Amino acid sequence: MLADAALVLRPTSSARRARARLVVGLAWLTLLIALVPLVAIAGYLIANGVGVLSPAFLLEDPPGDLSAVGGGIRNALFGTIEMTGTAVAIAVPIGLLIAVFNAEIGGRLAVGVRFIVDVVAALPSIVVGIFVYEVVVVAQGHFSGLAGSVALAVIMLPLIVVSTEEMLRLTPRPVAEAVRALGLSRWRSYASVLIPTAFSGIVTGVLLAISRAVGETAPLIFTALGNNFFSADLGEPMQALPLLIYRNALNSAFPAARDRAMGAALVLVALVLALNVLGRWIVARRQLTGR
Amino acid sequence: MPIMAPTGDGRLPLAAPREPIIRLADVNAYYGTRLAVRDVSMEIRPNAITAIIGPSGSGKSTLLRCIDRMHEIVPHARVTGRIEYRGIDIYDDAVDPAAVRRSIGMVFQQPNPFPTMSIADNVSAPARFNGLVRGKGVERDLVERCLRAAALWDEVKDKLQQSGSSLSGGQQQRLCIARALAMAPDVLLMDEPCSALDPVATLQVEQLMLELKRAYTIVIVTHNMQQASRVSDRTAFFTLGEDGAGHLVEEGPTGQIFTAPRERLTEDYISGRFG
Repeated sequence: MLADAALVLRPTSSARRARARLVVGLAWLTLLIALVPLVAIAGYLIANGVGVLSPAFLLEDPPGDLSAVGGGIRNALFGTIEMTGTAVAIAVPIGLLIAVFNAEIGGRLAVGVRFIVDVVAALPSIVVGIFVYEVVVVAQGHFSGLAGSVALAVIMLPLIVVSTEEMLRLTPRPVAEAVRALGLSRWRSYASVLIPTAFSGIVTGVLLAISRAVGETAPLIFTALGNNFFSADLGEPMQALPLLIYRNALNSAFPAARDRAMGAALVLVALVLALNVLGRWIVARRQLTGR
Repeated sequence: MPIMAPTGDGRLPLAAPREPIIRLADVNAYYGTRLAVRDVSMEIRPNAITAIIGPSGSGKSTLLRCIDRMHEIVPHARVTGRIEYRGIDIYDDAVDPAAVRRSIGMVFQQPNPFPTMSIADNVSAPARFNGLVRGKGVERDLVERCLRAAALWDEVKDKLQQSGSSLSGGQQQRLCIARALAMAPDVLLMDEPCSALDPVATLQVEQLMLELKRAYTIVIVTHNMQQASRVSDRTAFFTLGEDGAGHLVEEGPTGQIFTAPRERLTEDYISGRFG
């Protein structure tokens, strides 16, 4: 049945156009509101932190007395990179294996595993710290960078499992069928086809997990503890950027400590940003060449 | 196993019709409790193209997927009855489904090259993973041989390191055929291999099938009756029964099925009086 053309094509009423403008305006407004804290934090950090930055700030250790002027954040920057790197080395293989188990084997056990993973993801990070304190620090008899790495790995693990499993489930069905029809072993299927196919998504998930772990303070307080001196030994207490920011910000009555906290916070944000850019670059390059 | 027959001269003579290579006896295929294919018994002859035709839902693809044990990868899907490949019951507990799939290759409706692999790797990697080839030189030879056999070599020889997904649909399908050939199967199952291709690419794949049947046994599921009559030696006609399950109506030489079918159902379908 044909509709009446005059009815269908009648000009949009001005009331309707006004409503449309109102809704679009509201969308813009909420966007701006959402951007306010982001811009404010970035602006505040840059305003207060840029002046502090210098090569020496990155390459020197802080003074023993944090109210003293000078020194840098070398130990914390190095500690953050080393502990996060170790945490990645622990969490990525375990996370991939759990995700493959859930996606491939499935069944009732996988439902249980998924439940546990969700519970771990929901744990307050301070509780993760207490857990690792009990399991690693007490067993070792002292605080250590290793304990901090384990704590960060526990933080990262559920994020990696969930995102990887999700990506493996999104494997295009034709690719999944080709793998089966060629009679490849399960190990080969995952190592050579299914994980590479999901690579972009897995990298994104791992990067999100790293970004989360890099900024964690609570799980490090009674695992890595912190260290005023430089240490690359995972067996020793180790400094990290969030710990340094925390201790210096607590003493921000001293201008030197406040400046150090601001500079370190800016470095931390830049580090996370750089990681994300790196990840996007890896993903984009891979998609371009298809390899 | 000298399985690969390159196009051109120096080929093995056509094998005389021998024992059937695959025998199906009372095959039923289920999805959960739903019967999708009922009671199929038929034989598939070597070095010939067998076409499976019939309306949508008549269980053609499902039956095809029973032959290389791909049906069972669908959750809750199962098969009863007996399927023999060269006298071996492929559903025997002692038989590894992966081994069945290595001997019986499959080409799908949607071309499915591995998106993260180069054209060359798409061909050689699965064969390498299954231990069929070792060494760079051997692999290069395999890639060239299979791409030639799939009539794709001339189009891709200068870009073997590019991604397989950079090819056109018809090229991708021939790449998938080359990949299947690299596994040195002796049966090739093709599930509507041309339905996603344009007429030119379809013709290329059909010519390729005619070449390949000298060395392989081919079973093709197709919606396209002209295609079946053009390429196949034997045709099996399936239909959808009143019970909702597909079943075999009749099977015979393609010429006979298309000109003098024994069954009324076949005749109606062939002449377009169906549904």
